[in-house]
Amino acid sequence: MKPISWFHLYKILIRTSIRSRMQYKFNFVLGAILAALIQISEFLMVALVLHKFGAIKGWSLHEIGYLFAIMTLSKTLYRTFGNEVHHLEKYLVGGELDQLLTRPMPVLLALMPQNFRIMIGEVLQGGFILCWSLAGMMHSGQIGWTVVPFSLFVIVTGAIILFSIGLATATLGFWTTRIEELQVITEDAARTAAQYPLTLYPKWMSSLLLTAIPVGFVNYIPSLYLLRGEGGAWVLAVIAAVAVICLAASLRFWTFGMTKYQSTGS
Amino acid sequence: MNMITARNLQKQFKTPVVREGRFSGVRTLFSRQYVTKEAVRDISFDVRQGEFVGYIGPNGAGKSTTIKMLTGILHPTAGEVMLGGMNPHEERRKTVRKLGVVFGQRSQLWWDLPVKDSYDILAEMYGVSSDVKKKRLSQFAELLDLESFWATPVRKLSLGQRMRADLAASMLHDPELLFLDEPTIGLDVNAKRNIRRFLRTLNEECGKTILLTTHDMDDIEQLCNRVMVINHGQLTYDGTIASLRDTIGLPTLIRVAFRGRVKLPDALPSAIQVTRMDNQVLTALVNRKEWRTMDILKELEQWGEIDDIEMKEPDFEDVIHKVY
Repeated sequence: MKPISWFHLYKILIRTSIRSRMQYKFNFVLGAILAALIQISEFLMVALVLHKFGAIKGWSLHEIGYLFAIMTLSKTLYRTFGNEVHHLEKYLVGGELDQLLTRPMPVLLALMPQNFRIMIGEVLQGGFILCWSLAGMMHSGQIGWTVVPFSLFVIVTGAIILFSIGLATATLGFWTTRIEELQVITEDAARTAAQYPLTLYPKWMSSLLLTAIPVGFVNYIPSLYLLRGEGGAWVLAVIAAVAVICLAASLRFWTFGMTKYQSTGS
Repeated sequence: MNMITARNLQKQFKTPVVREGRFSGVRTLFSRQYVTKEAVRDISFDVRQGEFVGYIGPNGAGKSTTIKMLTGILHPTAGEVMLGGMNPHEERRKTVRKLGVVFGQRSQLWWDLPVKDSYDILAEMYGVSSDVKKKRLSQFAELLDLESFWATPVRKLSLGQRMRADLAASMLHDPELLFLDEPTIGLDVNAKRNIRRFLRTLNEECGKTILLTTHDMDDIEQLCNRVMVINHGQLTYDGTIASLRDTIGLPTLIRVAFRGRVKLPDALPSAIQVTRMDNQVLTALVNRKEWRTMDILKELEQWGEIDDIEMKEPDFEDVIHKVY
């Protein structure tokens, strides 16, 4: 099958997923409202921290806002398309992966469109903070307009890196079945840590966040170049390379992991 | 032509010992303690085109594991599967395109959407054009009586309806080979009959090769021309139903009513074992492998004047019970 028809199929499955969710309209609406409320409270938390402490270790309010916004938007992009990768445990425990494996398409392509959702609350929140940070820094003359398209680029590479981390973690589930606690470490904790400048952390931890769990490449490394002019344009190339390598490695690991799938008793 | 070739299939499940307490997931990951369970030990068989094979065995014998290995869901620990010349583990996507798979315990349809929507999606997935889809569905609708619940969401279907809908879904891309894991589980007599009729049509008229697992011996008796029995992960029998009966050698129950006087010979032939004799009715177990029916009748006539004879073949359930 050609990539174009895979894309066609992917679209159909997403549409199917949305239509399935719309069967439960009350739940759909309530879910959207709750998600937005959670996002607002999270934003208030961050705003409070920033307001209270102002600059952290030489990073200004706007710069930290930028770190936070890029991370939020990258995560949102990842979760919009790859939410079920994060919830693979459900499929492993219930053996629901069986059905996906009998379909004549890549398992990931069958898995990802399940329970597709548009995370409007996250997009608004992240977008708002991003605009606010960028406007602030442009106003002070720290950055120019070119940062805007580069930020979009960085959000995409960031989403790819987060997706790869999520996929690699999920793949471990083929051996352990349960992966929720592991996800707390590799996904939630790592991501939360990278919402602040990595210089805040002890050396071992910041290097961990740039190697084993490379969340630093989602927002921190790009910010060093885009906001503070450290390094050159090659930084962006490195970031893109890291994203591609992470993706390739995690896909390989995933393919290998599937041969270890145990399913469930009938 | 061989549709299924299975060679020395083995599957071991190695599960880490689950740790208790906090961070059990992470600790289990690094645990070196495993429990190994041999679900399938060493299974080889061939299925030719057009065969209807029943695959039976007690719970936990390895039936589902075998089916999942055959359909490419599980990778065997050792051994090889070929389906119509393709290896489902190396070319999964290409192979499953030629298979129909139905698991009685779970549906492959989209739970929240009307039945017909699932067919639209599957048609896209398998590249079935809308004309062909319509033609096939109208055939299935007739054979399986789908129309009454065409627009009902799958989650609201009865078990029997869901099973019929699932069967049609598995045949939409017209596969040559069909795997059915307990397709009649939990269904009432009517629904079972409906589904059997459909499967018989597929096998006899369309020449489809079918492998089915079941606990319902009527399924086997009415549909299959070959039975494979698995127990403790190994094939214990592979052949026709008739020869399965013979192998087990369960005796036929015979009840004879005599008219007038009955005189049993002093030395009874070894093939006849009298279990009861009251008034003039004799109940005996006869081994049909040693004696032909005519010989038995001749022998009985010597004992007295026969009024009526009733013979009962061993129940298939009993046969199976004996194999397990």
